Amino acid sequence: MTGKTAKSIFWVGTLSSAIIFLWLTYDFHQQEPKFAKTDQISEQVVAGKKVWHKYNCNDCHTILGFGGYYAPDMTKAYFRLGENNIVSIVVNPEKVYKDTFRKMPNLGVTKEEAKQLVAFLRWVGTIENRRWPPQDEKFVKAFKMREASAQKLNKADITMGACGGCHSLGNRGRNIAGDFGDLALGIGYDQDKLTKFIANPQSVKAGSGMPPQAVSPETAALIAEFVLSLKTGKEVQK
Amino acid sequence: MIRYESQRVARWYLELSLVLFCLQVLLGLWLAINYAFTLPQGLVDVFSFATARAIHTNTLVAWMLLGFMGGTYFILPLECKRELFSVKIAYLQLLIFAGTAVTAVIGFLFGWTQGKPLLEIPVPLDLLIVVAALLFVANVGMTILQAKERSLIQWMLFAGVTFLSLLYLFGIPFYKNLNKDYYYWWWVIHLWVEGAWELITAAIIAFVILEVTGVERKVVEKWLYVEIGLFLFTGLVGTGHHYYWIGAPDYWLWWGGIFSALEPLPILLMVIDTWMHIKHRKNPIVNPLLWTYIMGLAIFHFFGAGIFGFIHTLPPVNYYTHGSQITVSHGHLAFFGAYALLNLVVFYYAMPQLKGIEKFNDRLGVWGFWTMVVAMVCMGLVFGVAGVLQTYLERILDIGYSTAQREMMFWFKIVIFFGVFFLGGVLLSVYHLFTLKKAEA
Repeated sequence: MTGKTAKSIFWVGTLSSAIIFLWLTYDFHQQEPKFAKTDQISEQVVAGKKVWHKYNCNDCHTILGFGGYYAPDMTKAYFRLGENNIVSIVVNPEKVYKDTFRKMPNLGVTKEEAKQLVAFLRWVGTIENRRWPPQDEKFVKAFKMREASAQKLNKADITMGACGGCHSLGNRGRNIAGDFGDLALGIGYDQDKLTKFIANPQSVKAGSGMPPQAVSPETAALIAEFVLSLKTGKEVQK
Repeated sequence: MIRYESQRVARWYLELSLVLFCLQVLLGLWLAINYAFTLPQGLVDVFSFATARAIHTNTLVAWMLLGFMGGTYFILPLECKRELFSVKIAYLQLLIFAGTAVTAVIGFLFGWTQGKPLLEIPVPLDLLIVVAALLFVANVGMTILQAKERSLIQWMLFAGVTFLSLLYLFGIPFYKNLNKDYYYWWWVIHLWVEGAWELITAAIIAFVILEVTGVERKVVEKWLYVEIGLFLFTGLVGTGHHYYWIGAPDYWLWWGGIFSALEPLPILLMVIDTWMHIKHRKNPIVNPLLWTYIMGLAIFHFFGAGIFGFIHTLPPVNYYTHGSQITVSHGHLAFFGAYALLNLVVFYYAMPQLKGIEKFNDRLGVWGFWTMVVAMVCMGLVFGVAGVLQTYLERILDIGYSTAQREMMFWFKIVIFFGVFFLGGVLLSVYHLFTLKKAEA
């Protein structure tokens, strides 16, 4: 190979790639509204993104798969956890993760900021990113199913959809605040009291770490019935 | 032993770089401890994983850049056959850069951050970095302009440092849209490590090889052209392998996948031509350790960055491995293989000359090299095993993040074990470089 050939390899290689790259960049911006739903970026969403940066969340959590690997990916967190759980985790991490092997710092995030964060995460969840991360797709599906055709859900689906962010049932959901199978055995409330507890735990048991759940009274009653039904199941097994 | 008085500024750059290297590795060990054990809430509240990670990655970037800048200041007078344009600018630039880095690290401890991974430095400090970068580019450019002879290596260095500085600007603005944010975040991160930094690496290595082997300049420059051409050809569009899951059109899977599959080629070429130059050398080998580092760089660069990168940038694989400990494994092997070793080549090339030593006693340095290399390979493997396990548990068996992470505690204890060895190797090498002595005849 002559020096001249080498030189032309350099110029052709560099320029062709640069042109392709810049052209694709142009096209990316053209298609951005479609993929990122840019019309849904409200002031609240922008405020939430600033909160996300302010507390350096991204150095423990990944989002779109980028960032620290120390804590769960936040791309579809809105579907996985729902608004209440996000607010409660962010504002009181030391309570929510009291007994876990890994801690989340209490950074003094205010409730207001946490709500902005929720708006941001709700929007991030709608980015069309080829259904990544794979492990959260079930939460997204469950969330959308609950919204679209609630009548088709069985009680377990409804319960885990609403509570799966913090409670597990066998291999479903996340066991932060206990598995329903175990919890059911320790519940002394009747269905009415449990329904009240779900809607506003503090009103029934002061000092409870569980946040109020934004579910309708009917859904709360259904969840209470389901959880209490697990109790008999377990007792019969024993 | 140095031929130009102004080369001396390099020493400050290199020594500060070495100190930050130690700090980076110490913080790395602390991060592993965070994974391996349950830390008390009170400690996590005041010194979180996020803060420690920001310091770990920023000291990494800082010691890399200090090494590049020091290395450039050291070889530029030799390559231009004249003193640097201005020694004062070089010192001023170092002062600004180092001052900003220290302020940034202290700021992180108090939560002063831009909140973007790897680019946590807040905007006011970013502007200071830009000033330092402008001073650097101007100083390098003026030195080259005033040189009597033009060479390819001069221009590659200049292009590399200018490209590097320009790209930094894309990380500074606040983007409302997260996917656009990450689109340009990769212009900094990816186009640095697989673009601008490769230019600098190739130019510095070409220069060192030229100086020490005495092979013909024309041959070295010819390969430099081809390598850089291929680096940029594959690396620019190869940025697409970061755009698979950010919410971007489908064609990125193809462009990103195919171009990044080609990315190992220029590195392979670098391994081959380094080997050929060493084989056809005209000068005797004076300091074998420098050669060990040059060959180590070529090979580790190829496997850590090239092959490992290739394996997990294919879209069907990346769907499962993206954002897991596999990325951590690749990140460590690639940064160590490509850039930590490059800086060590620069140190072992420049430091003896700065101290007026021709042949140095390399006993401790050899231990340092092998300890670091073996420990890093082991650490990379353990991260990799942890990553495969994490991916399998979380994304294939689908049994939840926490369950998968609990498994990480065991593997990170092993990471700590090898990390301590790695730190030992680093301390040994740094001590050796600071106290270089003449070899006894």
